[in-house]
Formats: sequence, structure tokens, C-alpha cells
Amino acid sequence: MKKRILTLVMAAFVLAAFAQAAGVTLDVKEHVLQNGMKILMIPKPGVPRVVCHIYFKVGSINERPGITGSAHVHEHLMFKGTEVMGVTDYAADAKIDGQIDELMDRIYREKYWKTDGDAAKIVGWQKEFDELAAAEKAFIIKDDLWTHYMKNGGTGLNASTSQETTGYYVTLPSNKIELQMLMESDRLMNARFREFYSEKDVIMEERRLSENQPGYFFGEQVDAAFYAASPYHWDVIGWMDDLKKMTKQDLIDFHNRYHVPNNAVAIYVGDFDPAAIIAMAEKYFGRIPKGPDLEPIRTGEPPQYSEKRLYGEGPAATSLQMMFHTPPDGHPDMPALSILASTLGSGGGGGRGGRGGGGGTGRLYKLLVRDKQMAVSASASSRPQWYVGSFQFSATPRVDKGVQPEDLEKEIWAEVEKVKKEGLTEEEIQKAKNKGEAAFIRGLASTAGLAGRVGRADLKRGWRSILTDLDDLKKVTNDDIKRVAAEYFVKDNSLTAVYRRKSGR
Amino acid sequence: MKKTVIAILAIAFVCVGLGLSQAKHPSELKYPSLKFEPPDPKAFRVEFAAGLRAYVQEDRSLPLFNITAIVNCGGLYAPEEKSGLDTVLGDQLIKGGTKTREGSAIEDRIDFLGGSLNFNVGERTSTLTLSVLTKDLDEGLAIFFDVLMNPAFREEPLKLAKARFVEQLRQANDQPNGVLSREYEKLLYGDNALTWRPTKAAYEGITAADLKAFHAKYFSPKNVILAVAGDFSKADLKAKISKLAAGWKGTAVAFPALPKSFPAPEPGIYFIQKAINQGYISLGHLGIEDTNPDYFAVQVMNFILGGGSFTSRITTKVRSDEGLSYNQGSRFTTRWGFPGTFSGYVQTKSSTVGYAISLILAEFNRIRKEPVGDAEMETAVNYYLESFADTFQSAQATMSSFANLEMTGKSMDYYKTYRSKIQAVTKARVQEVATKYIHPDKAAIMIVGDFEPCNKGGDKWSGPLDKLGQVHRINLTDPMTGEEIKNP
Repeated sequence: MKKRILTLVMAAFVLAAFAQAAGVTLDVKEHVLQNGMKILMIPKPGVPRVVCHIYFKVGSINERPGITGSAHVHEHLMFKGTEVMGVTDYAADAKIDGQIDELMDRIYREKYWKTDGDAAKIVGWQKEFDELAAAEKAFIIKDDLWTHYMKNGGTGLNASTSQETTGYYVTLPSNKIELQMLMESDRLMNARFREFYSEKDVIMEERRLSENQPGYFFGEQVDAAFYAASPYHWDVIGWMDDLKKMTKQDLIDFHNRYHVPNNAVAIYVGDFDPAAIIAMAEKYFGRIPKGPDLEPIRTGEPPQYSEKRLYGEGPAATSLQMMFHTPPDGHPDMPALSILASTLGSGGGGGRGGRGGGGGTGRLYKLLVRDKQMAVSASASSRPQWYVGSFQFSATPRVDKGVQPEDLEKEIWAEVEKVKKEGLTEEEIQKAKNKGEAAFIRGLASTAGLAGRVGRADLKRGWRSILTDLDDLKKVTNDDIKRVAAEYFVKDNSLTAVYRRKSGR
Repeated sequence: MKKTVIAILAIAFVCVGLGLSQAKHPSELKYPSLKFEPPDPKAFRVEFAAGLRAYVQEDRSLPLFNITAIVNCGGLYAPEEKSGLDTVLGDQLIKGGTKTREGSAIEDRIDFLGGSLNFNVGERTSTLTLSVLTKDLDEGLAIFFDVLMNPAFREEPLKLAKARFVEQLRQANDQPNGVLSREYEKLLYGDNALTWRPTKAAYEGITAADLKAFHAKYFSPKNVILAVAGDFSKADLKAKISKLAAGWKGTAVAFPALPKSFPAPEPGIYFIQKAINQGYISLGHLGIEDTNPDYFAVQVMNFILGGGSFTSRITTKVRSDEGLSYNQGSRFTTRWGFPGTFSGYVQTKSSTVGYAISLILAEFNRIRKEPVGDAEMETAVNYYLESFADTFQSAQATMSSFANLEMTGKSMDYYKTYRSKIQAVTKARVQEVATKYIHPDKAAIMIVGDFEPCNKGGDKWSGPLDKLGQVHRINLTDPMTGEEIKNP
């Protein structure tokens, strides 16, 4: 008990010292269940709606070759029912489902384990499979969880998988939070991955959708080349081979390992009474047994010691990307890198998922788009990921003036060298700090966005890292800027990707 | 220790109070009642100097200030030879500067304040939106009105913008979904202001004088409605805005005649060749206006058909049962003053293109011929009723919704009567509007994909595609010239 009081006192002390922006701060109520699951609450009285999100500390970086894409496949399967949801007669369904798995095991062995599998056998088994799948339909209630959420006014209904986290989302009327607690705890304990095989087909279609985006294949190769060792090497969607060959058992193992309460945070933002949320969480999430402790990812990125270059051509705009390895989220150099990205900034386009600067105010936009008129867009972004970070410059040349990606590369290097020597101006640094502070306040105005930010932050460094990061940003000096630019913007730490539009496609 | 005991007791009390026994299935849950009445637009309506109308809400929860000007001005009002004027205006209202400020100085200053200032030109409405911290309200507001009233459209930024837009034309045929939505609209609406696209020559022909004239014609105080929310006192804000807008003179706006008739295309397949591994598909015809009295019944009907995500028939059949696609469904789009489109949509691998289309057409027919089920009806109606309060989550979004109602001439009772109109929809009405507004026999089926494998089909549906209707091959146009590309 004493210890707890001490912690409480310390927490209060730390909180008092935390970041404030224009007199406001982030206040999150916390409750931890015995099984280790954390419940976070941000009450916002007013419109009677509550954003209900659950985040798990699992994503594609928890996969290995052979099961790439499985975190995302698992997320899809979580909508495929439990022992009580999505099924009219669980015992009868389980019997057929077991037969289907047995049959598919035979098909997979014949198809994927052998180089000269018996095609006729496969056709026969496939026919049996079709019959069993048709028979199982009699017991399946389609998308039962989804229907219950929707008829109770659920909006923002979705789930997503990233490299590091998986989230399940719904916004409900404030009198119906218990529905979320019941169904989410139920699928954590009792998920049954019905219709696994047709859902894999859906996900392969999802992958094809990405493949048909101009430049996707090249982007996938760029990431794979940039991240040589760490599990950021593959995209969240996974390799097509793995999608084809992964088994239901792979997913059950994945579920049992990572989808445990001690690896989860539930967050509620909206019009509610925290005591009522805690009581319901104790009752529903509290009934789930604690899972094993989970080891963080082992493999980071080894130093490159040499420059990497990649060239490609195809049916997309001619472009340049320059990527540099940076430290992970939470490293003391990250705030300076974020200010660099914000200041060098964006001119629209470029930067996959990055955090670049605004409109036409970035240095690179002014230099390359506005003044020298060599580029259509020029941007910079910093990605502080959990285990390995990256900093990226992207630019699209003015093809009409005969500008080549390599010309832009030279220009960007010249600007980078200048920054290494002179740093940024005081005004630029102040601007980046102001933007960080304003973004923090604006973030507090959102509901779903705030839930996402706080929930995800809590999984890695605790939600208070949002406040300490803001404090750290305010402390950055021009010396820090020069130092980090010199440390990370070097050729041996980089990958440069040059892509050209190939005519005729 | 005592504290913990009290806390536990408190929790126990709450549990009892809420009647919390552990449910196993959602059907066992009983929810406390919840009442919600939407805010009344009248309570927020304000008039400023120069006849400028506004919807204003004080919201002191955070030190933020948000303002949007909705202007009755959009791409539809640009003449054919100046198509692209809207895109350039969208870029240049801010970047082109004002009489006293350079565009880049405006952007730099707003950025320094950690604010945002964005201008967006739509089909018939344009929006200028500012968001700043309360401490910067005065400065932000002054810049906002300067941009709105006094844009200068300077030559240098304009020249640069035109070159950038021409460069971006090169990408116009890259994205299969972009190609599909553009060509589908062209097919359904024909050749008029709704479908004109700028070419290189059109962009190059746009001058600062064009932009000035366009702005002068439509940016008149009586043609603008503001939506404002944030940390201020209404009285102070009124004084400030009235002062800033005091000198704003505007003439009565005369709007150009808008396209009225849209000859229906011949039913059948319209195929656009692209070497990709899926077919991107839209199938349908023109739909309804959102002022149509059947609008609410159509919403409920479409929710059941293909608008209600996983609870809808098309998703269940095409995605969940057959594993054919990731994205699929149906939609009725709406646009101010015109019928929107009705379409089923799906993207699926080439060999299952014909099969997926046949399944969607079957669902079109089924909802016309058979009454929908009670459970489907309950889910659809309850979804709209129970999620209604979502619309009012943000004060700024609520003010914008009210301003848009007034701008487009809709009833200001729209939200007040919304739920009763949804409740009035019956199963018979669903079938009635399905029969009235869905016509599978008149559907234009557009496919962007690789013709040979799509035409060949697969196990469950073997080609050729002309089993679904006459196949018309469409050649894309070169975005630079607007000329058809032969032999793509």
C-alpha cells in the first residue's frame, strides 16, 4: 500500500511539471485490471457519444518470414465470430469447421509442400471443401458483431493493423458502452476464425488493390532494401506467398501469444462517468486470464557502412526518395529531427505517412519548387517508429524542364550540408515549436484522433510521453539541429531511390 | 488502505446501481434510456455588416478559434474555355497574396502561429477555413478577411501554379480508381460543365484577370455564409467581424445557367484497358437529388443493398461469402441542384470480374422484387436513429452543417425532422423506391482493367463479357491535350 501511495505522490509531482500549452494539458484517467489490461479514460461531457478503442501491442513487426501479413489477417478474422457470436449452433459448426481445416491441411500439403502435387486430388478435395463450406453456412450468422454495433448506432466502426499496433474501433451512444465491453472481451477470449479461407482471398484482393497503385511494387522494394534486418523489412499486408500458405493454426498461435489483456489498452473518450466504465471493465475485461509476458523485438537495423541506391521504372510519376536511418521513438535526438522535417518541410505530395511541414512554407519547397522551379513537389518527413526510425526526403522533378531526379538529389544534399554547418534560423526553430504546441492543443479537440494517439502512445512509452515529447521539443537548440544533421545525414546511412516513368504503360 | 476499501465499495455500488450482471450475448443487455435533441440553427444565426450571414457558437473548452467562409462559387460556374479556373483559384486565393501581403508571407505567418489557412473550391461551394489559437484570433481574423476580400492574384505565383498543374496532368491516368470515377461520370452526365476537364492549353490560358473577375463576381458578402466556433465572446466577435467586413461591397450575383438534361448512355459494358491484375468496376445510372421526398427511403434501401458496410447484401454476398473483393457496395451520391449517381462498385481480380458483376446485378434485381427482411430493416433504421448525435460532435462541424443547409436552400428543420423521416420508412417504401430508382436493365457497366483475362472469366462465371451486354471499348484521353489516345 505504501508503495502505491508513493507512486501516486510521484505521479502527481511529475504531472505538475508536465507540459502545458496555452494553459491546457492532457489529463487521462487510468485504471489497471488485475490481468494487466489498462483502461484509459478522457471524459468530455456534451454530446452523448463515446469513442471506444482497444489497442494491442502487436503488428507486422511481431511476424517472421513465412507468416508475414498475419497480424493483419488476424485482425480480419476477429470479425468472424466467437463461441456465442456469429453462430447458431456452436457444436455443430465446430464439427464442420474442424473437417474443413483437416481437408485444407491435405490440400496445402499437396499444393505447397510438394513440387509435383497431384492436381486431380486437389480438385477432388476442393470440391469436398466447397460442399463443407456450403453446409457450414447454415450455422453462420454473417458479420454478427458488426450488425450489433450498427443497429446500436455504432459509427467509426473499423479495425486497423500497423507495423507496431492493432486497433479495434467503434463510437457508440453513451448508454451503450457495455455492448463494446461485452463483445470485445468475448472475442478476445473466444474468437473462432470461421471462413478463414475465403477471408484470405479477400485479403489477397486487398493486396492487389495496393499493387495496382502506381509505384507500389517499387515502394515495397525500397522498404525491403532500406530495412535489411529488422521486421520493418516487409509491409503490413505481407508477401503474397505467405498469404497463400499461412494456416489457421498460425493465426491461432499468433492470437494466443499476443492478444492477451496484459498486451492491451482500452481507451474511452466522450460523455461518460469513469466509475461506471471501471465497473464494466472489471466485469468484462477483468474475466480474461492474463497471458505470458512478451519480449520486445530483438532485431534492430545494423549499420549499413555503405550507401544503397535503387533504380526503378514503371507506370508512375518520376520521383526521388532519400532515406536515412534514425533512432527509435523516444530517443533524445527525435525532437531535433522532427524540427528538421517540419522546417525543410513539404510542398505537397511525397512523404509516405511522414510528419513533414506545411503547405508552401518548407525550405525545400521554397528552394526547389518556388525559386529554382526544378520540382513539382519537395518534402521531408521524420518517422520515429518504435524500434528503428527513418528520415525521408521526397521530390518530384519538373519533367517539362528536363530536370532529373539526380539533379534534385544534388540540390537536397547541398541544402543538407548547409544545415550541418549553419543549422536553422531561430525563427524556423521557433516556428516548429509553435506548430508542435498548436498541434497538441488541436489534438485535444478531437475524440477518435485523441483516443488513437493516447492509446498507441501508452503501449510503448506511456501516454505521458505525449507531454514529455512536447517539453523536449521546446528545449531543442540550433546546436542540436546541427549535431543531428551531421550524425544522420550521411551517405553510408542512406538509401536513394530513383524512379522514372516508363512510357507506353 | 481505507481509500481502497471506499473505492471498492463505490465500484460495488455502481455495479449494483447499473444492474450489472454479466451478459453473455448482446441480446441480454438492457440499456438506460438516452435523450438527445439536436441544436437549433436559429440559436446560432447571426448577421454581420454588409449582409454577411453566420452561424456562431462559443466553445470555451480549449483556447482555439475556427472560422469557415462558405462561398456560393465553384467549378461549375467556370466557362468551358476556362476549365481549370477552379483548380487554379483553389491554389491562388492564398498563394497569390493580397493587395498588402505576399502569398508566401501569409503562409509563413500562419505557419509561425501554428495555425492553418486552407482554401478549397468544390462544384458549387468554396470554403476558406482558418484555425488559430485564441491568442492569435485578431491577427488570424484580419488575414482571413484580407484573403477573402482582397486577393491580388500576383503573376509569379500564378505562373508557377500553372506549370505545376500541367505537370500533374501527366498523372491523370495513373490511378485506376481515378480513371474509373472520371470516365463513369463522363458517361452518365455527358459533355457539360459537370465533366469538363482542364488540359495543358486550358491551364496555360488562365490569367490573373480571369481569377480577379471570377472572384469579383462571386465573392460578395451576400453570397457568403460563415461558420464560427471557439473560445471567444459572441458579442466581441460580432464587433470584430463587422468592422473587418464593413467595407466589403458586393454586387448581386448572377449565376450561369447550369446543365439540366443528361441523355442516358446505352446500357452495356464500357471497357477501359489498363494492364493491372484487377478490374475496377462501377455499374449503374443517374440517381436522385437530395431534395427528393424519397431521399430518406432511398437511404434506408441503399443501406440494406450495399451502403451499410458489412450488414449490407452486396458485401455479404461478394466479399464475405465469395471472397471476391475487399471493397464493394452500392451508393447514391448527391450533388447540389443535380441528380447524383447510383452505382454498385467492386474491385476484383480479372478472372472474377464477370462473376462479381453478375452477383451485384442479382442483388439489384432482388431488392426490387422481394420485400426486405424485418431484421435488415431494423438494423438500417436503428443505425440512422442511434448514430444521429454523431453529426454534432464538433461545434465547428455543426456550424458548418447549418451554414450549408442555408446555402443550399434546404429546410432549416432538416436535423429536427431527420429522425421522424427515417422512422417513417417502411418495408413497402423500401421496395417502392428500389423499383423506382434502380434499373439493372439500364445500367452502364464500366470496367477499368486488362481486357483479355477479364473477358475470359473463371470457374464460376466464364466469359465473354458481352453476356452482360454489348461491350464498348473506350480509349482514354491524353490529359495534356484532351485528345483520344489511339492504341493505348
